[in-house]
Amino acid sequence: MLDIIIDFFIIGTKIGLILLPLILAVAYTTYAERKIIGYMQMRVGPNRVGPKGWLQPIADVIKLLMKEVVIPSGANKGLFLLAPILFIAPSFAAWAVIPFDAELVLANSDVGLLYILAMTSIAVYGVIIAGWASNSKYALLGSLRSASQIISYEIAMGFALVGVLMASGSMNLGEIVKGQEGGFWHWYWIPLLPLLVIYWISGVAETNRAPFDLPEGESEIVAGFHVEYAGISFALFFLAEYANMILISVLTALFFFGGWLNPFQGIPFIEGITNWVPGIAWLLLKAGFFLFLMIWLRATFPRYRYDQIMRLGWKVFIPVTVVWLMILTFMIKAGVGPWFTGRGVF
Amino acid sequence: MSKLKHFFRSYTLKDLLTGLRITGKHLWRRKVTVQFPEEQTPQSPRFRGLHALRRYPNGEERCIGCKLCEAVCPAAAITIDAGPRQDDGTRRTTRYEIDMFKCIYCGFCEESCPVDSIVETRVMDYHFEQRGDNILTKAQLLAIGDKYEEQIAEDRKQDAKYR
Amino acid sequence: MTVESIVFYVFAALTVIGALGVITMRNAVQAVLCLVLTFFSAAVLWMLLEAEFLAVTLVLVYVGAVMVLFLFVVMMLDVDYASLKSGFTKYLPLGIVTALALFGAIYWVIRSEVLGDMPEPAKHSAEYSNVTVLGRLLYTDYFYAFEIAGVILLVAIVAAISLTFRGRRERRGQSVPMQHQASREERLRVVSMESGPRQDAHLRKEEEAKKKPKSKRKKKTKGDDA
Repeated sequence: MLDIIIDFFIIGTKIGLILLPLILAVAYTTYAERKIIGYMQMRVGPNRVGPKGWLQPIADVIKLLMKEVVIPSGANKGLFLLAPILFIAPSFAAWAVIPFDAELVLANSDVGLLYILAMTSIAVYGVIIAGWASNSKYALLGSLRSASQIISYEIAMGFALVGVLMASGSMNLGEIVKGQEGGFWHWYWIPLLPLLVIYWISGVAETNRAPFDLPEGESEIVAGFHVEYAGISFALFFLAEYANMILISVLTALFFFGGWLNPFQGIPFIEGITNWVPGIAWLLLKAGFFLFLMIWLRATFPRYRYDQIMRLGWKVFIPVTVVWLMILTFMIKAGVGPWFTGRGVF
Repeated sequence: MSKLKHFFRSYTLKDLLTGLRITGKHLWRRKVTVQFPEEQTPQSPRFRGLHALRRYPNGEERCIGCKLCEAVCPAAAITIDAGPRQDDGTRRTTRYEIDMFKCIYCGFCEESCPVDSIVETRVMDYHFEQRGDNILTKAQLLAIGDKYEEQIAEDRKQDAKYR
Repeated sequence: MTVESIVFYVFAALTVIGALGVITMRNAVQAVLCLVLTFFSAAVLWMLLEAEFLAVTLVLVYVGAVMVLFLFVVMMLDVDYASLKSGFTKYLPLGIVTALALFGAIYWVIRSEVLGDMPEPAKHSAEYSNVTVLGRLLYTDYFYAFEIAGVILLVAIVAAISLTFRGRRERRGQSVPMQHQASREERLRVVSMESGPRQDAHLRKEEEAKKKPKSKRKKKTKGDDA
């Protein structure tokens, strides 16, 4: 009995070690987003709470926690309160298989890649239930938009990941990164460039971020599926959205940009002086770049129209991925170096 | 040929990259934010902010209860009751109220006033804490006038030649 | 009592509760959600049997895609629950007979395998990969069946499309490729005009006309130079 409790305690500690920094990262991602978008619009962003506004996210959190949770009349109370939990649970659960370094991973699963796809697809339940249980037309419209968007882009995303799978020959995230060993030019982003772009755009669409933030389209349906949520229940949606953003950024770094690997591998002098940098720092650096790119996209592009989103997902992305998968097959079979050397059959 | 050109343009994401370049450049531009309480933008002497009732230099209130402002107010924000004053029998207002929630700050009351009594000051950062505080009474309006009289008089002087 | 057995009993109970919920919930949406719970707990049970790939695929396909579409349909339907229940007692005997017959059939088929003492599933070594084994089986021994299943699915897709496709609809829609082809040059003309006072322009024009009756008004037009 005792060893069971100890087991649970150890696993719980590991989970806490991933989730607490993640929540802190989410808080400061909101800060970074407001600052960066502010700067791109020639404003200064939040700068009043604490030095340079550094305490702004803390203030936001306290405000959200203190606010009342309003349950609309006619809402299905149980499901209404369950929805935020259903939304946030998968976005946290997906972090279980993320390798932060060669040995630093909570669950070294052989189906890690599929597991992540499964978790991101479960999150859609939170959205649908939130929209339905709110007893509000805007919420329902928002949830329908969001659900169809998530389902459509999941296909393109899955196809793009099939490319990664073919290139690395494994669904284990650690193995995928290890397959890219050997410096900047050995990473998969070059042979999989179209898939990288498609994966990235689908990732942005799947997290309902601008320019694909139709489900939240403030100008049309107020705030979409979470329009009726306030206080901590809204905070959970917010937290999950940003956790998903960070997840997509980290995954892009893992799949296409060599995860924790040093980009200067194989370059004689620089490799030597950058060897002391721990792998997790490289991973966070790469993920940070993609997070910045996501915010950059939001500051730049106007929102897509609904039919355009569907057209892009079904009529552009899926055909492009299928074509590139064929090209990729030939590249692998021909053993194109330096990525697929030794795997050729010709 | 143009189809081919278009094909390459759309699949290299040229348009998107152009957009990203523009916002990327703006990231480094000088910021134009005015840090409000510490810095303020210049105001015109014609600025229309919080209302005030003025007095003559001898302390006599200017308003004669002609109700022109009440009549001209497009939002019907002004309510006036008038009658002879107890001690000297001159026509004065017994009630002069402005509902600040209704007011649209058009400045018509100011324009219509024959004795420059009701004016709009430069004050624009004010708030109400209790329900009902939004209705400014005569005493409050006179107090505002007393407080900002110097500024009000200066602004009227500057604008006088255009009126 | 190991961690695994705790997990097993919790999720086995959840599976049964979910399955009961599907048939007892009054609200159709809640019933669908119970079905989702059942699938999910079943996936966890498979995971305990070291069938990781199948478990995750169950979540991905059934929970993530099929049930979402199901939920869509149920949410959009306006089901009249009272009328659904009206014939309950009338059909009850028939229902009981059917249920008993079905249960008996299932019992008859699987009693020998299930109702004895089940041996604990064999543990595999750390190198054992469910995915590899499954893939090897599918693409060697069961290759023929696998391909046939694929073709059947393809036929089903084509059939579904041909059933619902009713020819081109005559409508005025936007053609996105054509919208993309549009260029600034053919839509926009930037004209540079002489700047000047606006409010009293007409007065000045009259004055100028008095002074120089023959002078012509100048107006420059340029093409796109922005």
